[in-house]
Amino acid sequence: MSDRTGLDIANVVKSYDGVRHAVDGVSLAIPKGEFVTFLGPSGSGKTTTLMMIAGFEEPTSGDIRLDGRSLVSIAPHKRNIGMVFQNYALFPHMTAADNVAFPLLMRGVERRDQMRRAAAALETVGLGAMASRHPRELSGGQQQRVALARALVFEPDVLLLDEPLGALDKNLREQMQVEIKHLHRKLGITTIFVTHDQTEAMTMSDRIAVFNNGRIEQFAPPLEVYARPATQFVGAFVGDSNFFDVRLRDPAQGTVVSAELGEVATVASPLAASSSARLMIRPEAFRIVDAARPAQEAMNQCDVLIDGSVNYGDSVLVLGRAGTASIRLRISGHEAMVLQEGQTIRVGWRAEDSCLLASVD
Amino acid sequence: MRLRARLSMLDVTTWLILAFIAAPLLIVVPMSFSTAPSLEFPPPAWGIDYYRNFFHDPRWLQPTLNSFIIALGASILTMLLVVPAAFAMVRHRFFGRAMTNLLLLLPLTAPHIVIALGYYSYFGTMHLTQTHLGVILAHTCLSVPMVFLTLSAALKGFDRNLERAAANLGASPLRVFRHVTFPVLRPAFLVAALFAFVQSFDETVVALFISGRDAATLPRKFFDSMRTQADPGVAVVSTLLLAVVITAVVGSRLVRRRRMRLQRLGPGV
Repeated sequence: MSDRTGLDIANVVKSYDGVRHAVDGVSLAIPKGEFVTFLGPSGSGKTTTLMMIAGFEEPTSGDIRLDGRSLVSIAPHKRNIGMVFQNYALFPHMTAADNVAFPLLMRGVERRDQMRRAAAALETVGLGAMASRHPRELSGGQQQRVALARALVFEPDVLLLDEPLGALDKNLREQMQVEIKHLHRKLGITTIFVTHDQTEAMTMSDRIAVFNNGRIEQFAPPLEVYARPATQFVGAFVGDSNFFDVRLRDPAQGTVVSAELGEVATVASPLAASSSARLMIRPEAFRIVDAARPAQEAMNQCDVLIDGSVNYGDSVLVLGRAGTASIRLRISGHEAMVLQEGQTIRVGWRAEDSCLLASVD
Repeated sequence: MRLRARLSMLDVTTWLILAFIAAPLLIVVPMSFSTAPSLEFPPPAWGIDYYRNFFHDPRWLQPTLNSFIIALGASILTMLLVVPAAFAMVRHRFFGRAMTNLLLLLPLTAPHIVIALGYYSYFGTMHLTQTHLGVILAHTCLSVPMVFLTLSAALKGFDRNLERAAANLGASPLRVFRHVTFPVLRPAFLVAALFAFVQSFDETVVALFISGRDAATLPRKFFDSMRTQADPGVAVVSTLLLAVVITAVVGSRLVRRRRMRLQRLGPGV
């Protein structure tokens, strides 16, 4: 494996008390230049994994390799990995320029060169005019950019971002998402971004690693994580979803039976016939079926009694019941105009817009 | 009109309270410019003889020098002991930590007179009474709790991500301390050292018991002087100390204001 470029995390375990595992056998191969997001709820092990890559935590077992070389016994200050902390961790007693020049100072770069490169890095993040300001004189967004410039100025092998956008307001967050993505494309640096915000993960990543209980439930591109979640946890955590208990009738053909929906068609599955499973359908997969909009061929259908609705402007979230099961439908705005509470509507969805997941007991 | 009347009532009250606090401090000033043989208010006539006397009389100069030597020694020794202790107590969990905490704060709870008696008999057998070193050791012990509380509060408030960030950016542990931890905590270090200095400079009870004649500090000299002739030399020293303190406070204010103005002017200054 020594010819391999990129970051290789092999079966890493971290336990603080020897009983519970904060990180429980995580393996990831991240090729050079990829933008990977660690997504998961707090306490899922994503930040601990990041800290082990940075060297602030030591794995209980397993190995972390960068370009084939093990990092585990290397001190944090010798790893050449850039990191942006959740609260930015800018040095309060230094100006923005001195903050950015700090990693260069540590590397023995000549003073004139330090200042030139720091100025260039600040220019890249649009803060050229703020070089002589102290962190407390900068806004949250500007501090974030200084932290980013500081983590990039020494051309690290890997860039780690620990929930860096959490403290920013919504507009600024979206702007920073675009800028970080832009910087990543320009520099082509291997980047790991930790967040619990699934939208951030969807918009920014090449691949998402979904963490839960110290394990990775799925490691795949965003659209695949969304459309083909590997586990029920992933389906529930990423995006909105409906789950139904079903029994497999013919796994090869993808037919299942549910108490609420009757016999419905879904995608083929490797699960055994007559075993029980969970059928997942995204709220936006449903279409209203009536005389004006007849169902397409091979479309599953069911009746939904409307209990209420939440208007989002561009779409309406309809809360209803199909038989005894509660169901959530997302109907686009103009179609939802005629819907009323207490009304029963017929909806349809395509087999390929649903997926089958193993039951968790 | 009523508001105005009430405001002036408030003004009067405020000034009365200020006078109540400041009068005992300021009364020494006129008494120091006196010609009377002993402390007297108001002075019978004005003069600066006692000031001239102070700067030529070793009976006053020696205790002044002693006080400075002892306060400086005690604050340095206190910092050398308490800085590592505070780091250990705040950042590490170890066996006996709660006990150590209690021990560090113990001098705060014991009455000074009891401590003084303890040192008097204990240092006596070690030939440490009447020496600078003895007083420095005793004052260090008394300063430990305040300095420890000040430093550990500052350390608890210190964001350790700053150290992680520095390490991440390539700083070895020693350079992390030199470039980040120490500069960020420097104000707290200075305040703590100042506490120790003032505590020692001000301390009277222990000094009375163990400083003797050779290591007599200013408070001890004050006490002796008041007991014997009560000469206005006491008022002279008090006035000088008051002047030093006021200069320091006003000076630091001016420096800070100037620095803030420079910062507001921004780059290029």
